[in-house]
Amino acid sequence: MDIILMIQALAIGIFCYLGSVSSPWLLGVTGGYYTIGRPLVAGLIIGIILGDVTTGIILGVAVQAAFIATISTGGTQNQEITYAAYGGIALGILAEASTGVTVTLSVGIGVLGLFLHNLMMVLNSGWNRRAENAAKKGDAQGIARNNGIYPQIVNFLLRVIPIGLAVYLGEGFVKAFLDFVPDKVTHMMDVLGGLLPALGIALLMNLLIREKSHFIFFVTGFAFIVFISNNMIALTIFSLLIAYVIYLVASNSTPSPISDDDEVI
Amino acid sequence: MPKLTKKDLRKSWLNWAMYNLSSMSFEKLEAHGFAHSMIPIIKKLYKDDPEEYRKALERHSVFHNVEPQVGSVINGITASMEEERANGKDIDDDIFVSVKTSTMGPLSGIGDSTIQGILIPVLLSIAMAISSSGNPLGVLLYMVGYVSIAGWLSYFLYMRGYQLGVNSIDTIVGEGSERLRDAFNILGILVIGGLAASFVKLSTAIEIPNGEETLVLQETLDSFFPGLLGLISVIFSWYLIAKKRISATKVLLILIGISIVGVLLGIF
Repeated sequence: MDIILMIQALAIGIFCYLGSVSSPWLLGVTGGYYTIGRPLVAGLIIGIILGDVTTGIILGVAVQAAFIATISTGGTQNQEITYAAYGGIALGILAEASTGVTVTLSVGIGVLGLFLHNLMMVLNSGWNRRAENAAKKGDAQGIARNNGIYPQIVNFLLRVIPIGLAVYLGEGFVKAFLDFVPDKVTHMMDVLGGLLPALGIALLMNLLIREKSHFIFFVTGFAFIVFISNNMIALTIFSLLIAYVIYLVASNSTPSPISDDDEVI
Repeated sequence: MPKLTKKDLRKSWLNWAMYNLSSMSFEKLEAHGFAHSMIPIIKKLYKDDPEEYRKALERHSVFHNVEPQVGSVINGITASMEEERANGKDIDDDIFVSVKTSTMGPLSGIGDSTIQGILIPVLLSIAMAISSSGNPLGVLLYMVGYVSIAGWLSYFLYMRGYQLGVNSIDTIVGEGSERLRDAFNILGILVIGGLAASFVKLSTAIEIPNGEETLVLQETLDSFFPGLLGLISVIFSWYLIAKKRISATKVLLILIGISIVGVLLGIF
């Protein structure tokens, strides 16, 4: 038994739990799901745990690109992002996989993770009933325990066990799989890994582009990076300027409110 | 006259910020998270009236669903309404329910589109660009940036909700804020355009025999529009989702299909 890998696998599982959407310990979703739970941050954390920060971050950036639009409401989720990030990136580092293969691996683990997440939500109905009864009895302590503490035990187990096992047992399995499959399949995974961010970005566009005319700003942003300067900070500053100009124009063109008395026919 | 102190409000905010989704289920979502956040308020206001205390706990244990970081304003409003009720104002259960249900929808719409749609993608885009070759600085920048902006926002909106009551909703959905959000929306669209250029990677393997030489199609494309195939794949995915109303899962399957067939035919 490999004790070091076991401890590493356990630590990765614990961070996967801390980054989950219902984990309260890092100021709820603020420090948890939206910070520790992002694949970019997961890449750094897994890199530190496995002793290869550079690879961790590079894989984290690649997986993050594919999961750029995790919009938890208003659209049906098809993957669970923290399972995907912690399982996929860790196995990617251990199996020395390419970024494309790691992204594909993450998507697969994310689909399985969604089942576990939904299972947790079903099991939480039981805790909800207990919290309801506590409220009926006027037992504030009971609400706090059945809302904040007990459901977390289930959530913890549903993340630490599967992710820990996947990392501990998966290294050899993924390596053998990558050796076994023909190069063409690995190449397909690489192509898919490069293509998946298109879906996430399309989902964001669907949310942000409310008028046809907005589309030109998307193409402008694309062209800025491709033709003018491949520098995201420069683009952000340029975008702030454009946004400010639009804000000024909108503020000035708003008619001042007219009361009924002033109405002239 | 029972009066809430800053300490009660801070405790209530912290309970909400931490435990809003901790017992999430399909049928109740944030119900008990909301009750959890009201505990410090109820303890202070109704400590001498066990029946009111019990009723208050029960009244805040109902279905609740809002973007939690922006939605903290509802907790602030509710705290101020409970304080008024404890001081004799006639506020019955229906008013609490209607304030919550009428604000949840608009607040979630705004919260999801500005936080998940603009703030997070813009911060991530900058961080990913800095960290793309393995530099941890971008990641750290994202962590500090996001936690401070979203943490402050959640706290500020709770306190604003307490001070202004129902009027505080105008801070978020009012006309001035709408103009600001429209401007940030444009910022978001510009930045994700850049994100698409940096991270959607597709290149063709097609080579066209041209007399003695072969013409490498990708080199020709790069010479006049680098990243053109990436741009086309984003617009294609967006077209399927926004115009054809195809679900994200189906688009994912279509992209998998394109990768498989494209490699088999030697296009990619």
